[in-house]
Amino acid sequence: MKSITSAKSNQAWIYLFPALLLLTLFLFIPALMSIYYSLTDYNMLAPQARLFIGLKNYLTLFKDPIFLKSVRNVAQFVIFVMPLQVGVALGLALIVNKKRPGNTFFKISFFAPVVVSLVVTSVLWLYILNPEQGLLNGVLNQLGLPSQPLLTSPKQAMFAIIGLSAWQGAGYQMLIFLAGLQNIPNEIYEAATLDGAGKWEKFRHITLPMLKPTSLMILTTTFIDAFKLIVQPMVMTQGGPMDSTITPVYYIYRTGFTDRQLGYASAMTIVYGVAIILFTVIQRKVTGAGGDNDDR
Amino acid sequence: MKLSKFGIVAVLFASAVGLSACTAKNDASGSGKDTVNMWVHYSKEDPEGKAMKQNINAFNKENKQGYTAKVQYIPRSGSGGGYEDKINAALNSNTLPDVLTLDGPNTAAYANSKIIQPVGKYIKNKDDILQSIRDQGTFNNKLYAIGYSESGVGIYYNKKMFSAAGIQESELPTLEKPWTWDEFMDISKRLKQKYNAPAIDMQLSDHSEMSIYSLAPFMWSAGGNVTNSKGTKAVGYFNSDETNSAFQFIQNMVKNGYTTISPKQKGFQTGKYAMMLSGSWTIQELDNQYKDIDYGILPYPVSPKTKKLVSPTGSWQYAMSSSTKAPKAAGALINFLVAKKQMYRTDMSNTVLPARKSVSELMKKKVNAPMQFLIDQNQKSGHARPVLVNYPQVSRTFAETVTKATYYKENPDIAKLMKKQAQDIQQYLK
Amino acid sequence: MMTGSQKARFAKTLISTILITLLAFLFLFPLIWMIVSSLKPEAQIYRDIGSFKSFLPSLDVGQWGNAYSSLLKRFNVFLYMLNSLLYGLGVTAGSIIVNSLAGYAFSKFRFRGRKLLFNIMIALLVIPGETIIIQKFQITRSLGLLNTPFAVVFPAMAAPFYIYMFKNFFDAISNDVIESAELEGAGMFRIYWRIMLPMAKPAIATVGTLSFIGSWNDYIWPLMVLTDTDKFPLQVAITNINNTQPVYMNQVMAILTLSTIPLILIYVFFQKYLVQGIGASGTGEK
Repeated sequence: MKSITSAKSNQAWIYLFPALLLLTLFLFIPALMSIYYSLTDYNMLAPQARLFIGLKNYLTLFKDPIFLKSVRNVAQFVIFVMPLQVGVALGLALIVNKKRPGNTFFKISFFAPVVVSLVVTSVLWLYILNPEQGLLNGVLNQLGLPSQPLLTSPKQAMFAIIGLSAWQGAGYQMLIFLAGLQNIPNEIYEAATLDGAGKWEKFRHITLPMLKPTSLMILTTTFIDAFKLIVQPMVMTQGGPMDSTITPVYYIYRTGFTDRQLGYASAMTIVYGVAIILFTVIQRKVTGAGGDNDDR
Repeated sequence: MKLSKFGIVAVLFASAVGLSACTAKNDASGSGKDTVNMWVHYSKEDPEGKAMKQNINAFNKENKQGYTAKVQYIPRSGSGGGYEDKINAALNSNTLPDVLTLDGPNTAAYANSKIIQPVGKYIKNKDDILQSIRDQGTFNNKLYAIGYSESGVGIYYNKKMFSAAGIQESELPTLEKPWTWDEFMDISKRLKQKYNAPAIDMQLSDHSEMSIYSLAPFMWSAGGNVTNSKGTKAVGYFNSDETNSAFQFIQNMVKNGYTTISPKQKGFQTGKYAMMLSGSWTIQELDNQYKDIDYGILPYPVSPKTKKLVSPTGSWQYAMSSSTKAPKAAGALINFLVAKKQMYRTDMSNTVLPARKSVSELMKKKVNAPMQFLIDQNQKSGHARPVLVNYPQVSRTFAETVTKATYYKENPDIAKLMKKQAQDIQQYLK
Repeated sequence: MMTGSQKARFAKTLISTILITLLAFLFLFPLIWMIVSSLKPEAQIYRDIGSFKSFLPSLDVGQWGNAYSSLLKRFNVFLYMLNSLLYGLGVTAGSIIVNSLAGYAFSKFRFRGRKLLFNIMIALLVIPGETIIIQKFQITRSLGLLNTPFAVVFPAMAAPFYIYMFKNFFDAISNDVIESAELEGAGMFRIYWRIMLPMAKPAIATVGTLSFIGSWNDYIWPLMVLTDTDKFPLQVAITNINNTQPVYMNQVMAILTLSTIPLILIYVFFQKYLVQGIGASGTGEK
């Protein structure tokens, strides 16, 4: 099933060149530099004075309680946000993929949280989540439930962040699902209709299988992005209360840029990056993306 | 095949290391002995930026040595992000300007890393400069940076809400006779009973620099401290009885419901809370946007034991980079910018507190009563924040300590909490 | 006259449309609040918050422009917007071309090391951009790009995720199409340009939208690599307004509204383009 003859396969490098050049310069080399930095005591304010200290940073981080705590926090985040956000995104994509009056309006609405600045959403969400006079507790009280401490509770704060992130991010994945849905040729549906297939059967036997590559891609990238959570806790809780919403990337950023310990921050970046890669490989194996489509 | 791939990686790695290692000193920061480049942390379109432009024009025209100054405007975000990232990048490539602005708490770290050099000998009329400003810029007994403005915080109060709660004008504290924590809590209690809401927004939901900045004066009033005067010991200082009493006071405020850890946004401005702990910038906000709120400013509550009034201070400052090739010109520029006339222009345009006694006298004639009050409180009781190399970590631990103290159910024993927190701070001291 | 089944179908559409509209408001309310708040005095914003009034503009129409006019007095907003637009369009065009070329190579060529390279690219996804900014700066500086628009645009163009997306789309295009084109004597670039790209319109639309948004919202990087104030993007002004005390919330909302409108427009533009490309025979039965 080889589409391109081997003779032409070397041409590939021409097409790859611009992307590889840019990725090497602005992503790959910086990452390699991080490896080098991670072996030094690089202080942001004294770049010339850095000393090679071997694996000391690596030994420190496995004993660093905040780093370990941040890893636990992000694990909780990933476990809950993945099904929530991807599920909501797929649902929204299916809704707007159907032609109905006001479709453009719906498309804009669902995508709005992605484009609206976090400055806006944080003001509103802080109001909604305010434990004393917030809307959410107002609704709970109406339903006869007691008020919850929400963002001020070390137990609940991460769940509030999970809800907020899924709400805010779902539009992004919706857009990608939508592109995937648009890529399914209409002829297949038309043929199925002629064969007397119902809506559910079409969804089950055409949409889902045809959407598989898109879904796998979304699962992989959302998974990785979820591990890189930083903005929402930074804006909403500053990692608190009692470090209950601090995430590794936020902690790395804080260590490197606020505390100026770039060497140590680089070591954490490397260890955490390798860990995510391993998790991603497992995740892709489990979801079946690992096989790729090399033989097509 | 395998080998060549490895070869590529090796080459890339080598080039990366090369790139990072050879941050050679090939960039001169200034372009000559008579030209001074300066970076500032605000936009040229801000009032502060416009005043700077006027000051620079004046410098270029008036100085007799033929110096020329050029300014680059780099608007910061939040507490300094963006601007400080740019400084960090410039350090990395050795392209720092001759003169830069830096926030007060950065003095020690910048001086310790030898990024900036002492400027004391260039500054004239130093006795006129507020003690808090000199403290803020001093590291190892040398003046490394010089603030051009001050900041201050007070207790804003809603006059109508106070009188409706039956609080008499005569009960209110003054700079000469401030209120003790007990008196403050008594008034808070009456306000809480009247309005069935917290009496004051103490900004306890703000876990940033605002925490140590606005709450540490309680600790200083009681005679407590974060560290010893050398900045080498926290245990025994951050958990002294004096420091503990201040955190006990904060905890009691929350426990009794006089304040809240999750205040409504702009609760004071919209008449929901009768008091707010806030800085001088709120004067402009209230005067421009919330004209129907009749407010005044009251002094910081003081420890009942010492009755000593202490209030927060600190702001951005000028410093000279160590790499400058034009130290004389840079020194002349800094001295010019913090001189009476230029400081007056900057501080008036930006409506901030002045850093000189003489400018204070000038400004007090021009500003409204709340601003006059803050200028007076600042001169009388201003206290600089600690000058520590690892200040960001210490500031954050302070904020954490406040948060933990306000969770009174989890941390009922303040002495125990403070012991643990003092140990946390200790690890950041050198 | 509608028949019974038509009536039932109409009722069903009506109910589902109402439900979806309610759902839509769950996502739309910050946008409405932002626009409405930009038309109010600041005090009104916080007085109204928590009631339905916070979603209604003030009754005094004469006041609507106040925040905007003080904003325009404070900043040369249009210059900043123009800069942002130029960077955004540069990044978008570059991103579509560079990433689709790479996606094409991964999808339709069988070259040595393909799988390894692809996996390395996926691995690059894990690097948090926030943490390598100093290194990126050093490279940009050694390339001599500082204070040029290229310093803003180049690092934002290539992205593993977008390459992945294009690869997925090209994978879905049958190889028969390519083979028949090859038989007609078309070269590989011609196939890419004439066949593959037009068929990947959904991917182009998505990558285009997302690249533009990413570039538009970037603040720290442009600030770091640019020195002239006249080259700054809009985000720099936004951050400044939002952080210079006292912060006036109505002005913040006004500049955020101005900054969000282009994003909505680019999104709608690309969505239209997307539907045109594919949905010509759309039956709505998907």
